Amino acid sequence: MSEKWNITLKVSRQKEGETPHFDEYKMEVDPDEYVLDAVERVWAFMDRTVCFRHACHHSTCGACGMRVNNVEKLTCITSIRDMCQDGGTLKVEPLRNFPVISDLAVDMGSLYNRLEAVGARSVLPVPEAEIEKPASTWDPADQQYIRLADCIECGLCISACPSAATSSGYLGPAVLAGAQANGLKRNPELLQLVDAEDGVWRCHSAFECSAVCPSLVDPARRIMNLRTQVFTERFSRLFHKA
Amino acid sequence: MEKPSPDKFWTWFNPVGRETGGWAFILNRVTALGLTFYLYLHLVILSQLATGPQAYDQFVALMRNPISISAEVLVVAAGIMHGLNGIRIVLTTFGFGVTRQKQLFYGLMALALVIILFFTVRMFTA
Amino acid sequence: MTQTSVSAKVSGEAYGAPAPKSGENTWLWLLKIVTGPLLVIFLAVHFIVNHYIGETGLLTYKDVVAYYQNPLIPIMEIGFLASVVTHSLLGLRGIILDLKPSRNFLKILDWVFLIAGILIVVYGTWLALTIASRGA
Ligand code: SF4
Repeated sequence: MSEKWNITLKVSRQKEGETPHFDEYKMEVDPDEYVLDAVERVWAFMDRTVCFRHACHHSTCGACGMRVNNVEKLTCITSIRDMCQDGGTLKVEPLRNFPVISDLAVDMGSLYNRLEAVGARSVLPVPEAEIEKPASTWDPADQQYIRLADCIECGLCISACPSAATSSGYLGPAVLAGAQANGLKRNPELLQLVDAEDGVWRCHSAFECSAVCPSLVDPARRIMNLRTQVFTERFSRLFHKA
Repeated sequence: MEKPSPDKFWTWFNPVGRETGGWAFILNRVTALGLTFYLYLHLVILSQLATGPQAYDQFVALMRNPISISAEVLVVAAGIMHGLNGIRIVLTTFGFGVTRQKQLFYGLMALALVIILFFTVRMFTA
Repeated sequence: MTQTSVSAKVSGEAYGAPAPKSGENTWLWLLKIVTGPLLVIFLAVHFIVNHYIGETGLLTYKDVVAYYQNPLIPIMEIGFLASVVTHSLLGLRGIILDLKPSRNFLKILDWVFLIAGILIVVYGTWLALTIASRGA
């Protein structure tokens, strides 16, 4: 039989430009339900004005990212059991470092724009996806197979990043990871974008992005790799003009 | 256009909801600011050396009280933590141990603790 | 993709993100990351010699002057000073970048830091040589 927990859901409420406050909703849940289920229940049975984003419910669309008890989570795959106890409180807030549109929904336009600017691919040849082993160790024949990129563009990494917090212009982990996967070799014009104040050097090695990424992108590792790419490129340009 | 926003500037300092790497970053920056302050203070004080033996020896004598020594211990501790944390940053930047950065951080900080304790004991008993 | 289209896309008018700014680059970063480990080494040596030479370390003016008679010492201390000043000013600059300074302010800051850095190293060199010359 399924277990029952009584929890309090504290939802951050805020219409554009307002200062946020919390509304509390008491409810009975199955601890093995997901945080998103609890938020949906508020909307379905308690308060029709609660605003949040979601679509696929299986960690593919990247729409339901929120801060749950201060930590960035993809709420559709975060079970309530992992975040609180029976009788406990679940605090849900919108992602940081994005403008809040309403309650839990943020405007991620800047992320999508920047991903497009660095030519981040949503589908790429298997060897370049660096799954399981580095690109160089794949059989060239595998180049014909493609797969979806790991990044689901959920923005959790941007929300968790202390550098993005102080500088809204910072390209941010997901974008730099996209640039890394794309590669400076293939796209030399990316250099001026990432070798800049708001590019790779703005990262202060806090590794928060990799800690919260729900999709194994490991943006921090990719940023470090991009640094090596940038450095190699700059160094070789010293000797022959690009 | 992005405007200077000093209010948001302090968000880096907030440790709530952060992880190992985030704390390391905060620690690194706090010690960096402290060490920068100390560095320039140190340089000013060293100018005493130029004025001659009396001034310098007097100053050193003045510094031999528990409060100044505690302050020095703080500086030493900050330097050691910043330096060892820096090793983590250099290693990971060049692609070593990126996936092990937490263990790296705790290992280096444990080492820092040992060195700091050693210096603390030594400085108070010397 | 041409260069202008890259920055135009990032600045994506609707979102007010800035075009690529040149406030940071590979070489500044390289200077910071190279001086870092250098400082760890210098600091270790500085600590050991300043506190473990003789019985009590360098506590008196006389000790310091005597110690500076070895020509390697002033050279090392000056290298130490140059690295530490570079590292600290670049670090400070990085923190100031988080305050999103205006371009004009940053330009002035760069000059102030450059000149201050040079002056400090010159002062340090003078100090080291003065101390060394007192020994004779
Ligand atoms: S890198 Fe990870 S956390 Fe960042 S947007 Fe992509 S999937 Fe989300």
